[in-house]
Amino acid sequence: MTTQVITRHRLRVWAGYVGGVVLGAAAWQIIGMQTSSQTFVPVTATLSRLGQLIGDGTLPAALWTSFQSYLVGMAIALVLGAFVGLLLARRRLLRTAFEPYVVALYATPMVGLIPFLLALLGFGFWSKVVVIVLFAFFPVLLNTQRGAQSISPELLDVARCYRSSEWDVWRHVIVPYTLPFLMTGVRQSLARGLVGMIASDYFLSSDGLGSLLITASERFDTAEMLAVTLTITVIGLILMAIGRLAESYFARWRVGG
Amino acid sequence: MSKVVATLTDEVAPETRATAAQAADAEGSAARRILGSTGLRILAGVVLLAIWQFGVTLFAPAYIATPLNTVKRIPAVFADPAFGADVQTTLLAIIEGLAIAVVIGTLVGLVMGRLPDVNRVLGMYVGTFYAMPLIAVVPLLTVWFGYTPEARLAMVVLEAVLPIVYNVAEGARLVPTNFLDVTKIHHAPWWRVWGGVVLPNALPYVLAGLDLAIGRALIGAVVAEFVTAIPGLGYYLLFNVRSFHENEAMVALLVLVAFALVLRALINLAISRGFRWYRPA
Repeated sequence: MTTQVITRHRLRVWAGYVGGVVLGAAAWQIIGMQTSSQTFVPVTATLSRLGQLIGDGTLPAALWTSFQSYLVGMAIALVLGAFVGLLLARRRLLRTAFEPYVVALYATPMVGLIPFLLALLGFGFWSKVVVIVLFAFFPVLLNTQRGAQSISPELLDVARCYRSSEWDVWRHVIVPYTLPFLMTGVRQSLARGLVGMIASDYFLSSDGLGSLLITASERFDTAEMLAVTLTITVIGLILMAIGRLAESYFARWRVGG
Repeated sequence: MSKVVATLTDEVAPETRATAAQAADAEGSAARRILGSTGLRILAGVVLLAIWQFGVTLFAPAYIATPLNTVKRIPAVFADPAFGADVQTTLLAIIEGLAIAVVIGTLVGLVMGRLPDVNRVLGMYVGTFYAMPLIAVVPLLTVWFGYTPEARLAMVVLEAVLPIVYNVAEGARLVPTNFLDVTKIHHAPWWRVWGGVVLPNALPYVLAGLDLAIGRALIGAVVAEFVTAIPGLGYYLLFNVRSFHENEAMVALLVLVAFALVLRALINLAISRGFRWYRPA
C-alpha cells in the first residue's frame, strides 16, 4: 500500500518535471511562431542556430575564453575567501575592526566597480578575473567565518588538553569543522561568479559569451541571443548541481545550522 | 582556558552585581568595551582609506579616484542638477520595479506555495532562472524595448521577482496547519482563507524576499544603464569614469550603496518590529 503511494507520488513528481519542460517548450514554440523573427524565435530555430554556432566553432571558443577567467577567478576567490574568513573568525581583534567594512563591501553592487577597473587595468584577462573575484569572494568569506566562529570551545579545549599542536588543532578540528560551511559559500559563489563573468564579458573584453550576446543584439539576431542564453542557463544549472553535490557531500558531518 | 574563565564570569555576573557601585563599575567597563571596539573600527577604516589614498598617489595616474578627492567633490556633485535628475530617475526606477515585483512575486508565490502541482511546474523555472546570471537577457531586452528606460525597468522587475516568489512560496507552504484546519471547520470561503490566513502568514516572507531583491535590482538597473546608455546614476558613473572624472563617479557609487543599505535597514526594521513571530529558515 505504502509503496504504491510512494510510486504514485514519484510518478507525479516526474510528470511535473516532464510536463513543465514540455509546456515551456510548447509555449516558447507557439509564441515564437506568432511573432516576427526579430522579436522572438521558436525553440526549433533557436536549437538549429545553436547547432550552427557550435559547428563553426564560435560558441566553443567563446565558452573557453569566458571560462578561463571564470575558473581562475573562482580559484582565487575560494582561497582568499577561506583564508580571510578563517582569519576573521579566529582573531577577534581583526573581526571587530573589519566586520563593518566587509558588510558594506558585500552590499556594494560590484558592477559599479567595473568602469573603475577598466580605467585602472584596461581590457583583458586579468581585469575580468578581478571582477569575478569581487563577485565570488564575499559568500565564501562570510560562510567560512560563520562556520569557524561556531566551533564550540569544548572541541578546542579537548584538543588542547591532549596537547595538540597549533597545526594539529587546525588540521583535525578547525578545517574539518569549517569545510561544510565553506561549501555553502562555494555554492553561492558559483552563481555570483557567473554574473561577474557575464558582466565582465560585456564591458571588459571583445570576446567571450557576453560579447557574443552584445554583438548579436546589435545585429538584431534574436536566434543567436536565445541560443547563447540557453547555453548560459544550462551552464548555470550544471554549476548549481555541482555546488549542491559538493555541499551535500560535506554536509554529512556538518554540525549545527 | 581564558575563554572558559570568561564564560564563567559572564554567567556569574548578574549575582555579583550586588551594590550600586559594582553595577556602575560593570556599566563603565561595558561602555569602555563598546568605545574600544568603535575606536578599533574607526582605526581600521582610517587604515583602509590611507592605503587606498597613498596607493593611488604613489603608484597610479592622477585621474584615479582617491578618498580625499571624492570627499572634496561631494558638495559640487550634489549641487549639480544633472546629478540630482540622474539619482531621481534611477532610484525611482528601482523602487517602481521593486513594487511591480512585489505584486507579481506575491501572487505567484502564494499560488506556488499552496498548490503543489503548480509548484512542480513553475518551481522548476524559478530555480532555473535563479541559477543563471539574469543580466544575460539585457541584450534581448534592448531588442524588445529598445534603448529605453522600459528596458531598465523590465530588468529590475526580472531580477527582483525571483527571490520574492521563492520566499513567498516558502512562507505560504509553512502556514500552520492548525490555522487552515480552523478555516475548514468554520467553512470559511476560499478568499478568506487566502486573504485572512495565507497572505498574513506570508507577509514577512514578502519582506524577506524584498530584502534579497534590492541588491539584485541594483545590479540589474546598473547593467541595463551601462548597456543601453540611458540617463541615470549608472550611466552618470560610466560617463564620468570615461571622461576621467573618477571622483565624481565614486560619489555616484556611494549614493547607490547608501540607498541599498538604507532600504535594507528599513525592511529589516519592519520585519523585526511588525512580525516578531517570524523566524527565517
